[in-house]
Amino acid sequence: MQDSRATTAQSEREFASLVESLAGDPTRREQLTDLLREDHPCYDQRGTAAIVRMRGWVLHALSHVGLSEPALIFVLEELDTGVDAYLVAAAARALRSYPNPSAFFAPYLIRALANIRYHDEPVSFENYGAYSESHGATSPVRELLATLEWMGPSAREILPQVESLGTKDGGLPKRFLDDVDRAVEAIRRGDQTSEPNNHSCCASPAPVNSVVSWARDTRCSSESVEKIVFEDHEGASLTFKEFFYGHPSIVVFFYTRCDNPLKCSLTITKLASVQKLLREQGLSELIHTAAITYDPAYDLPERLRAYGKHRGVRLHAGHRILRSIDSFDALCSYFELGVNFIESLVNRHKIEAYILDNDGRIAASFERLHWDEQTLVDRASALLRE
Amino acid sequence: MPKKSKPKSAKSRKSAQNPRRIAQRALAFGTNAKNSIKARVKAMADVPLAMCEDDKSLQTVLKILREEKEPIEVRLAALQALQAASFSVVAFESCRTDYIATLRAVAADKDLELRQRVLGILAREKDGFAQKKLLEGLQQPDKALLPPEKALQLLSYDVHAEAYPIARAIVGNPPNATAKREALRLLAADANAAPTFEKVLRDKKETSENRQISAAALQAIKPDKLRTHAREILLDTSEHDEIQATCLTALKQFGDQVAIVNDSVLLRRVKRLGGKGSSVVKQSARQFLSKYGQ
Repeated sequence: MQDSRATTAQSEREFASLVESLAGDPTRREQLTDLLREDHPCYDQRGTAAIVRMRGWVLHALSHVGLSEPALIFVLEELDTGVDAYLVAAAARALRSYPNPSAFFAPYLIRALANIRYHDEPVSFENYGAYSESHGATSPVRELLATLEWMGPSAREILPQVESLGTKDGGLPKRFLDDVDRAVEAIRRGDQTSEPNNHSCCASPAPVNSVVSWARDTRCSSESVEKIVFEDHEGASLTFKEFFYGHPSIVVFFYTRCDNPLKCSLTITKLASVQKLLREQGLSELIHTAAITYDPAYDLPERLRAYGKHRGVRLHAGHRILRSIDSFDALCSYFELGVNFIESLVNRHKIEAYILDNDGRIAASFERLHWDEQTLVDRASALLRE
Repeated sequence: MPKKSKPKSAKSRKSAQNPRRIAQRALAFGTNAKNSIKARVKAMADVPLAMCEDDKSLQTVLKILREEKEPIEVRLAALQALQAASFSVVAFESCRTDYIATLRAVAADKDLELRQRVLGILAREKDGFAQKKLLEGLQQPDKALLPPEKALQLLSYDVHAEAYPIARAIVGNPPNATAKREALRLLAADANAAPTFEKVLRDKKETSENRQISAAALQAIKPDKLRTHAREILLDTSEHDEIQATCLTALKQFGDQVAIVNDSVLLRRVKRLGGKGSSVVKQSARQFLSKYGQ
């Protein structure tokens, strides 16, 4: 791990060399996965475009050496929520280096196509930081279609959607029709070989762990953060202990300047759905909800209030949007937040939601992949029975 | 055979009025170097509809944009046609990758206006290539594709571009007054820049525009600080009228109602400004006093 940690002050060129040397050394390849953590020091004080180049290069390296199980979730995350053409293309290529296609990947691929098709861009993997200026370069859409072809019969569940990409209405542009045809043909191949149908979405998913739970006696104490002072959306001050102790809580992280609509904006919209479910199940008073900003210096109460209200969040005593006044670092350590910064501004973050128990201890975390609102409510309500 | 020729000519008239036909004809005309520049530029305005019809039309327009030997007026008109076509996101889907590739290819063109417009389009797309070029130009002026003030303006389209350190350096040592103004505008989204804005706001030697930008930035990132400074500026009898008017507006819109109503010193001063100040200050003072029940 030593090499990948020593990248804080490296130039992008040095970072690229490090990635190439890790990829070339079978004994250190696993360190490439470590470089995909958002909170890795190498991303500290970099602009978002630089981070895109860096992460894209790591994914590109993985596509050469083979995608490992621990790195798989990072690739699926990019397909699930990525809006940058280079990263989505790199993720699609990396997935093709996974040992076997799995039906579990299919929904991520079709979602990525829907997310990126109107933002398609020429991309280049020829060398680090290259931007394509030529016609006929590859693009995320082309890479995703190649990955669907690689999926073959494992993508049978989404065959109708893939076929619709080749139709005149709502289909992809003509230039991709050959790629669509090849993907459709590869997916249908399973029908011709009359293999037993073991490709359904429910068949053994890939080993992706986006939800982690801790039993009551294994949870870490929240003592380190209990005195942290928050300011809520109305400007009222309260401590972690005052808000989070005495009942289970659902906590999500976000920031108002996030420009990925599939991350923070969607997270807060889904928090509103969580609140609705809690109300419908009579749990609204028993389980608190909180959205905490990654960007406390900029996200002032008025901004927090407007952001929540515009996304349907109901705000009152047990349901608040919070900013840490002076101890965001402690909060980062406690939740092990997947976020990094350039000065005070977030430059990259993962999706993350947490369930806290009556003592503010983390009982479950949902990260990277989109979480389901009902699952979150079920996990939180289970704590009421502890 | 007059009966047979009549429907044929109606059909051909209809076909001639078809917007797609018009666009195709305009494309053929606009790309023909034998026509006058003025006429080609005019024809290009009708081209967008033809662009996404077939790949050949798109490539023809892109070729004009890339071709340095073409008159710059025609190349700019081609760019405008492409930009107009790109507004129709769904129809433009098939053109987008080649469009972006071409924009990047001409971003370093010898013509400043073309560079500026192309980098503007890419910057609005938050394009990493454009941001890299703009930042490089600010750090190494000999490599600059655009003047620093324009580069800063384009970088400000994306708060996540790593432009704050360079903008801060430009505020401290500006190559020209406009660059300083644009650097201040860019920093208005930087939560750590409050001390810079406080300094500029209170500096009577600064331009009114820079001081007003600073007031607006403080309202966004440290509204309490703006209220404090606004009060002090209003009490300062040597302050400029425009800044006092800005401060009156700020306190009228965002002031703490209770604190202001109980601030007899401030109210007395504003009453005086309402009677003796310049017309802009008088008007702002009257609005302020009317809001706070005076």
